[in-house]
Amino acid sequence: MSGGMSGVWRIPAALAVLSAVGLSAAILGDGIWDWLCWVTLSVPLAVCAVKLWRQWPGRSASL
Amino acid sequence: MTPASLRGWRLVHRWTSLICSANLLILCVTGLILVFHHEIQHLMGEDLDSSYTEGQARLPLQSLVDIAQKADPTLVPKMLSFDPEDKAVNYIYLGKPEESGFDLGRWVVLNGFTGANQMLKQPEETLVGFLLKLHVDLFTGFAGQMFVGVMGLLFVVSTVSGLVVYGPFMKKLAFGILRFGRGTRIGNIDLHNLFGVATLVWAFVVGLTGAILSFSPLITGYWQKTELAAMTARHPEPMTGPAVPIDQVAAAGLAAFPGKDLAFIAYPGNEYAGSRHFSVLVRGHTELTQRLLSVALVDAETGVVAEAAGTPWYMTVLMLSGPFHFGDYGGLPLQIIWALFTIVTGVVTVTGFVVWLKRPRARAASDRSSASGAKLGSKA
Repeated sequence: MSGGMSGVWRIPAALAVLSAVGLSAAILGDGIWDWLCWVTLSVPLAVCAVKLWRQWPGRSASL
Repeated sequence: MTPASLRGWRLVHRWTSLICSANLLILCVTGLILVFHHEIQHLMGEDLDSSYTEGQARLPLQSLVDIAQKADPTLVPKMLSFDPEDKAVNYIYLGKPEESGFDLGRWVVLNGFTGANQMLKQPEETLVGFLLKLHVDLFTGFAGQMFVGVMGLLFVVSTVSGLVVYGPFMKKLAFGILRFGRGTRIGNIDLHNLFGVATLVWAFVVGLTGAILSFSPLITGYWQKTELAAMTARHPEPMTGPAVPIDQVAAAGLAAFPGKDLAFIAYPGNEYAGSRHFSVLVRGHTELTQRLLSVALVDAETGVVAEAAGTPWYMTVLMLSGPFHFGDYGGLPLQIIWALFTIVTGVVTVTGFVVWLKRPRARAASDRSSASGAKLGSKA
C-alpha cells in the first residue's frame, strides 16, 4: 500500500492484531491468559459500540 | 491496485457474499444460541448426569461395557469415547458384530463413576439438538453438511475480498465514519465497513474453522484410509483366541504415552482399528494439548503395544478448529464475546445485502448490459 493508504489501515490493523492475540491467548492457558483474551477481544466490539453510539441519528450534536 | 483488479475484487466480494448470505444468517442465529448450549441444556434439564462424589473410584471399563451391552445383547462394543471436559461422561458405541462402520448400531452414554445409563435423545427432540442439526447440515445429512462447508469457504473468500476493497473505498474517509443522514445506502455502507473491518479476524477464523469442521468426515476419513490404514496393515495377524480385558488394553495404551488421557478406544474389526489390534487414542489435558491426539495399536491377544504414533497435521488442525469455532475455551466471558461478535457479523451480512439491494440504478443498468454481469445475475 502507498503512503497515503497507511492512515486507512492503522486502526483496522491494530484491531486485527488485538483480535489475533485475544483469540490465541485463552487456548494457551487459564487465569491471566483468559483475562488477556477477554480484554483484547472486547476492543473491536467496544469500537463498534462507541462509533455507533456517538454517530447515532439524533445524537449528531456530539460529533 | 489497477482499476481492473479492484473491479474484479468487488465482483468476488459481491458474489461470494450474496451466495452465502442466506445460509450465513441461519448460521448466525443458530450459532448465537448454540454458544450457550451448556447453559440451555442445563435450563431445559437436558444435561447428562455427571455426578460423582470426590474421591470416588471410576468403574472398570469392562463393567461399563457390560452395562451398555445389557441395553441390546445382540450388539457388541465397537468404540469407547471419553469426554475431555467431563470425566464422568463415557460414550460407548454398540454395533452389529459384522459391522466395521458406525451406521447400524447405537451410542450408549454412561456415568463412568456410577454406571448410570442415560438415554441419548434424538437431536430433533431437544432444542439444542434441533438448532445444532440446522446449523451443521440444514437437516439434510452429509450432503447438507458439505453444502454448509462450501458456504463457509465462500464466506472466508468474502471476508478476504472485503478487506481488499475496504482500503480503496476508505481512502478519503475517516475510520468508523457513519453517515446516517446521507440515505439508506450510504448509512448501510458505512456500518458494513466499520463492523466488517473491526471484526474481520474473528469472522475469518470462525468461518474457516467452521468450514474445516464441516469437512471433518472427509478429513478423518482420509486419515483413517491413509496413515491409520498403513499402520494397521503392518499388523495383519487375525484373531485366534480371546481378547484381553479392555482395561488392560487402556492401561497399555496409556503407558505408551505417559501423562496423557484416554480419548477413544476402537475395538478390533472396527474401521479405526486393526484386525486383531485395538486402537487407543489419547490426548493431553490442557486447553491446547487436549486437541492433540496420539494413537497406539494394542494387540488384543497379548495386550502389548505393537505401534504408537502421533496424528498428522491436518488432524491437529481439525481438532483445533473446534474451540476456535465454538468459543468454548475461555469461560462464560468468552461465550458472551462470541455471541456479540456473532450479532455484529449478522449486522454486516444484512447491511451488505441492503447495500446491494440499493445499488444505484445507473450501475444496475450497466450490470445488465455487461454480458458477464448478466450471466452471474441470472444464476444467483
